[in-house]
Amino acid sequence: MKTNHTYSFIILTVILLLCFVTNISLGSINIPFSEVFEILFGTSKNETWEIIITKVRLPKAVTAIMVGSGLGISGLLMQTLFRNPLAGPFVLGISSGASLGVAIVILGSGLFGGFFATALISKWSIVIAASLGSFLVLLAVLAVSSKVRDTMAILIIGLMFGSITAAVVSVLSYFSSAEQLQQYIFWGFGSLSNLSWEELLIFFGIYAVGLLLSIASIKGLNSLLLGDNYAKSLGLNLKQSRFIIILATSLIAGTITAFAGPIAFIGLAIPHLTRQIFKTSNHKILLPAVFLFGAIVMLVCDSIAQVPTSDYTLPINAITALVGAPVVIWLLVRQRKMMF
Amino acid sequence: MKLSIYFLLILTFVSCKNEPKSKLPETIEVNQMALKYAEGFSVDYYENYKVLNITKPWPKAEKSYRYVLISKENMAKTTFARNEYDAIIVNPVETIVVTSTTHIPALELLNVEETLVGFPGTDYISSEKTRLRIDQKKVRDLGQNEGINTEVLLDLNPDVVVGFGVDGVNKTFEVIKKAGIPVIYNGDWVESSALAKAEWIKFFGVLFNKEKEADSIFNQIESDYLAAKTMAKKAESKPTVLSGAMEKDVWYLPNGSSAEAQFLKDANVNYLWSETTGHGSLALSFEAVLVKAKDAELWLSPSYYSSLDQLEKANSLYTNFQAFKDKSIYTFANKTGATGGVLYYELGTTRPDLVLKDLIKIAHPELLPAHEPYFFEKLK
Repeated sequence: MKTNHTYSFIILTVILLLCFVTNISLGSINIPFSEVFEILFGTSKNETWEIIITKVRLPKAVTAIMVGSGLGISGLLMQTLFRNPLAGPFVLGISSGASLGVAIVILGSGLFGGFFATALISKWSIVIAASLGSFLVLLAVLAVSSKVRDTMAILIIGLMFGSITAAVVSVLSYFSSAEQLQQYIFWGFGSLSNLSWEELLIFFGIYAVGLLLSIASIKGLNSLLLGDNYAKSLGLNLKQSRFIIILATSLIAGTITAFAGPIAFIGLAIPHLTRQIFKTSNHKILLPAVFLFGAIVMLVCDSIAQVPTSDYTLPINAITALVGAPVVIWLLVRQRKMMF
Repeated sequence: MKLSIYFLLILTFVSCKNEPKSKLPETIEVNQMALKYAEGFSVDYYENYKVLNITKPWPKAEKSYRYVLISKENMAKTTFARNEYDAIIVNPVETIVVTSTTHIPALELLNVEETLVGFPGTDYISSEKTRLRIDQKKVRDLGQNEGINTEVLLDLNPDVVVGFGVDGVNKTFEVIKKAGIPVIYNGDWVESSALAKAEWIKFFGVLFNKEKEADSIFNQIESDYLAAKTMAKKAESKPTVLSGAMEKDVWYLPNGSSAEAQFLKDANVNYLWSETTGHGSLALSFEAVLVKAKDAELWLSPSYYSSLDQLEKANSLYTNFQAFKDKSIYTFANKTGATGGVLYYELGTTRPDLVLKDLIKIAHPELLPAHEPYFFEKLK
């Protein structure tokens, strides 16, 4: 059984590497494969192509890996914590919190003027607002979860937070100019590109902390599967575990939403896909598997979104849902039930 | 007994049918307004009234609109079949509400700006003349364009509202029409060339019985434009031009058949996408733009970015363009009115001659040494 998983991991890692190389060699501009390697090893003479590979495609591929793996992991954590197959960063209101933060910065300048108007263009203001928004919503969910025992109730409360933020966003939109609305809508499409290496470094820093926290909570996650009371009887500090899990999720999902926008489908679907294939609920295996799977799926989706050899690109969100959702439906229909 | 009642009824109907119709006055079309470029409207002159036809109020419009314009005196003498026209307007118009800043310069050039009584979003208006009237509370703010405050508008009760439609679905305008205030659609923005857009000043001329003034103003603009275009042809070099900027992953640029590209062609520059055609703008990936325009000499209108620093902060990839390194980026986003409205959006449509001269000054400064750019400014 164990060797079985080792093989799976080796295969997945190889696929990930292949997807990575494919991703950076595909794009609007046709760059020969040999040239891609020359650029990577710094021996290329073509300056334009070098800019495209090192400043556009490489950061985008790295972002795709972080976004895919991060969203998958935070979805897994949420699903286990709330013992609900529908849980995910979107459902819990993390993404809506981030959207609200961004809406206040982009659309709020019409209402508040002054400071917001000048902060409008800065990318950092959007990142900070999104992180703050998602963190605040999660704190609220956390506060509620300490009062309400029922996890289903917490899920519903998360959904309600989503509705409230949507309402605030529509009020803000009503008073905004066409350019502001356009900027906000484009943020909502999600995007893996446009991050510089410096931005990626900060992104990676927060993401890594979240990742370490989730690795640290593997034992807690496994005991949670058996129910709160059983977990307690195993000597698990339930409150502390819950806090760490939620903190990890908000760090990972919050920064991802901040830098790449609200990316649909991945957080919910990747854990299910992984469970179907690995047929286990042990988080020691699930966590790294979800990491690899999420990264691969995101790289594939991004390669499709670039519409190789055409001058056009598609919003990544459309692709994640279009490619991903049917796969999940097919898997579920084939297995006739959801492994959970 | 019953039979006689039927008989009587039939008789009544038959006699009704035979009653002679009250005839509308016979009218003869005298002539039609001469238009050189504009295709979205036409004006027919009759003996004592005129008919304004709006044939293309928005792209893909299937319906055209007809408005009768008639003086107060003639109104009393004439009857119209109401259902044949979209509105009957007494002119000259004494109070007007317009809905786009592009309508403001026409009112001012025709010297009828004092007729403006309301506007949705007065902050967008930059013209000093009209701003003064706004400050004096002579022009009421009607709120947002899509949700015009109908109560305020009905309270103002203007003679006419000049609206514009993207697709003809505008509930506010329907309410206004039902209240008896005529709404005329202005389709200047649908026209495909700069001079055609500018010719819509004649549309306003009709409303105010100032056709002659409108005609001579347009002729001046046209001759200035054509003279500038001829002069631009003398230029010895033809700088390569990049335009637009990215919104997330997509770089938006004017396509080769757009009015913007026409300006560039007339300014005798080498717009790198002049060969493209189609509706709306081009939406390209960064890679596609970089490969073609990395060494472009000029970069025009980089979206709403108003400084080099802002451009770089928004996306460091912009710094890879030669035009960025040379600081040869020009924008119209910095020329704004007192309350932040962009001057280009307001005046550019009516004064294409000024836009063209600006572009010539940027591309071939030796041709227009004395010209002070009106809209464009170098990005700092």
